[in-house]
Amino acid sequence: MATGIKDRVAIVGMGCTAFGEHWDKGADDLMVGAFEEALVDAGIDRNQIGAAWMGNALDDINVGNSALPLAHALRLKSIPVSRVENMCATGTEALRAAVYAVAAGAVDFALALGVEKLKDTGYGGLPLRTKGVANDLWMPYGSAPGGFAQLAGAYAARHGIDAQDLKRSMAHVSWKSHQNAALNPRAHLRGKVTMETILGAPMIADPLGLFDCCGVSDGAACAIVTTPEIAQALGKSNPVTVKAIQLSASHGWEMQYGAWDGSYVANTREASRRAYAEAGLSNPRADLSLTEVHDCFSITELVTMEDLGLSDEGRAPFEILDGRYDSDGALPCQIDGGLKCFGHPVGASGLRMAYEIYSQLLGRAGERQRGTVNYGLTHNLGGAPFNSVAAVSVFGLLT
Amino acid sequence: MSDRFLAGVSGYLPLLRMDRAAAARALKFSNLGGRGAGFRAVGGWDEDPVTLAVEAARPLATRDISKLVFASTSAPFFERAHAPLLVDALALDRSVRSFDVSGSRRCVVSALLDALLGSGDALVVAGEKRPAQAGNPLHLAFGDGGAATHVSDKGGARLLGHASHTADFVDLYASREHPHAYAYEERFVREASVAHIVAPTIKAALGNAGVPADKIVFAAVHEPVAGAWRDIGKKTGIGAPNLASDLAASAGDLGAAHVLYAAALAFDRAAVGDLVLVAGFGGGCDALVFEKTGAIAGTDVAAAHLSSGLASTDYLRFLSLTEALDLDWGVRAEFEQKAQATALERYGRDMMGFIGGRDSAGNVQFPKSNIPVRPDAAGPEKLEDVRLADESARIVSATADRLNYTPDPPFWFGLVQFDNGARVMMEFTDDSSGGFAVGAPVRMRFRIKSRNKRLGFRTYFWKAAPLERPAMGA
Repeated sequence: MATGIKDRVAIVGMGCTAFGEHWDKGADDLMVGAFEEALVDAGIDRNQIGAAWMGNALDDINVGNSALPLAHALRLKSIPVSRVENMCATGTEALRAAVYAVAAGAVDFALALGVEKLKDTGYGGLPLRTKGVANDLWMPYGSAPGGFAQLAGAYAARHGIDAQDLKRSMAHVSWKSHQNAALNPRAHLRGKVTMETILGAPMIADPLGLFDCCGVSDGAACAIVTTPEIAQALGKSNPVTVKAIQLSASHGWEMQYGAWDGSYVANTREASRRAYAEAGLSNPRADLSLTEVHDCFSITELVTMEDLGLSDEGRAPFEILDGRYDSDGALPCQIDGGLKCFGHPVGASGLRMAYEIYSQLLGRAGERQRGTVNYGLTHNLGGAPFNSVAAVSVFGLLT
Repeated sequence: MSDRFLAGVSGYLPLLRMDRAAAARALKFSNLGGRGAGFRAVGGWDEDPVTLAVEAARPLATRDISKLVFASTSAPFFERAHAPLLVDALALDRSVRSFDVSGSRRCVVSALLDALLGSGDALVVAGEKRPAQAGNPLHLAFGDGGAATHVSDKGGARLLGHASHTADFVDLYASREHPHAYAYEERFVREASVAHIVAPTIKAALGNAGVPADKIVFAAVHEPVAGAWRDIGKKTGIGAPNLASDLAASAGDLGAAHVLYAAALAFDRAAVGDLVLVAGFGGGCDALVFEKTGAIAGTDVAAAHLSSGLASTDYLRFLSLTEALDLDWGVRAEFEQKAQATALERYGRDMMGFIGGRDSAGNVQFPKSNIPVRPDAAGPEKLEDVRLADESARIVSATADRLNYTPDPPFWFGLVQFDNGARVMMEFTDDSSGGFAVGAPVRMRFRIKSRNKRLGFRTYFWKAAPLERPAMGA
């Protein structure tokens, strides 16, 4: 009988580069930067790493396939090294693999590292790629904002919300992330912007304007995980542990079966339901201290608040405008700036979210520190609302 | 008099109509462009002779069809027959005999006459999107469109008589080396073609049909050059209006599709008992005389397409859509969409025909899969074919994607729910009202899905379009 992952694995070291336009750095530089920080944090020797997982979503424009670029960059000597990819949920997927390896007793220390070098494409946004020889014959080649923009119209239709009211609430989501990122020295976009600027920005995919879309960045983040017992032996008396990692993937019903109205992300609902159960959180609205969610677009964060059960259905636009999810609100979301402003180097984002929760749990978040943090949640979403992979994780201290 | 009939005649025009007066204003500095009156039908970036022909034939495609002929002078492929594409897009049985005809804009009338002289139920379908260079009068005189006719042993228009004349006559210079048509001196073409080819052939057809010229009520005669009908009338004694002339003014010269389209308009206006003259020109002439004997399918569709559409005064957009202006669309346009022949072999028929599948519980899905998408499906099932092309549907979600590359921004797409239960993520096309709304009804249109310009290849699929088009002049 499966018992779940709660408290079976501790995070003993994390690293995260600044996210942004690293014209002067390659993916190897970014990987080394994140790893060396984590290694110092963990207080172990690099040769103690028993296995490693590399998260990289867009291999063809980055470092090439396989995990060999990770093994080469970090000079990991003949240990098992694998590449994982699950679209924008790749970072959490790498962490999940490392966590399961430790929980299985296969290794004492495992490394999860996510990296993406998006600024070697010569243009902004994500590159267009094949969807497979069969899908290419019929599936639209919509962009990422095009896929998520459709949440807005469907959400407004379902809840009878005026499009302008929804747009203003979406703008607050972005405004908040810019406010928060101003306090984060590693964030890609640190400048504050006004609501008027956000609302008046050029349209990217109706109704998403430029400021409704996250940054496209270079960056890397990583975690070294071990057992709670080994963590304590290393002198970390009350280490950060994984309370839950759950993942839910589409099996086609949203796009092919007539039950979904397009106004929410079903996989987020399923993954969070299972994550709360695994973590033993019966009242996540009260139990959670803060969240880092996949705010690739403002509308995504808005509906995610409901999909995670943190706002009642149809209420998120109003609670966002009321400041419930601001840094000084009841349940801060994206206190580090989120994908919107910290940036979104795809394969690294899930680990970047974990990095912020880890820092907050250990009281290391500096100006961003949110008092005492009990539980933090990360939500890492790949694909599009109609064809998605949602990963929801919960972290906390061991005791 | 024969025992062969036209059971249906139909036509299709793209949404956009370039206002020639606006084009003339844009070209005023150069004094080029030709006549600045009327409209020119302009195919979207995702339309070509194949898609235009498919749309024209849809009202006429029945299970009785045993032969299909595709006619065009501007069809996209060389070593790939187009008629089989139509057979699949129209979901006809693959036992249908099919072939392409080309060579001149008369080819469709020759194919029609051949079908009338043959047996069985045949579809003769034409589609045209002829290239021309900006500034050349032909660029604005041409129009893009499709037309189709169903020939049968029964129907609403009986063939009374016909005549043909074959002659190499150079009125247009166009070739593989020079695909843009170049017109020879207009006076020569009009005088020589009318006197030596068109008028004598029409007279012969009237004679073979035993019909005096003044009994013709409507004509659908392809003019060698605009205004030639007046001279043809004088030489043949026919005083009837030529709907091919009217069509050229209001939509452009549709090439191989022109005469069939004009015939649809003629039969739509004709009363039972009226005589209609149909004649094609190019490398000779074929002239056919019909008597309307009853209802003819599809003529109302052709008339509706002519009277509806979206007038445009945007000459630059017109240049881009007709590929007379090669814009640099930037790095996002560099993505190569190379369709694999193996994938086309496996999935092509379902894609072209928009064929989904019905599972054992009655749920319809697209595309088909081994294990149905139905949540309680327990394992692989054999799905029953269900064609979605003619099913009614509504929009579930939509957006105008301005980041994604398309030759005619923005890129509209979203989730479409069919009334029969299927739902498909689709591209939208033919926006005429500034957008697509959640809940709006849509109809399916056969369109180009992707183009690979480097290989000169394209794939086809279906897109969702508004149910109605605005009325021209509205």
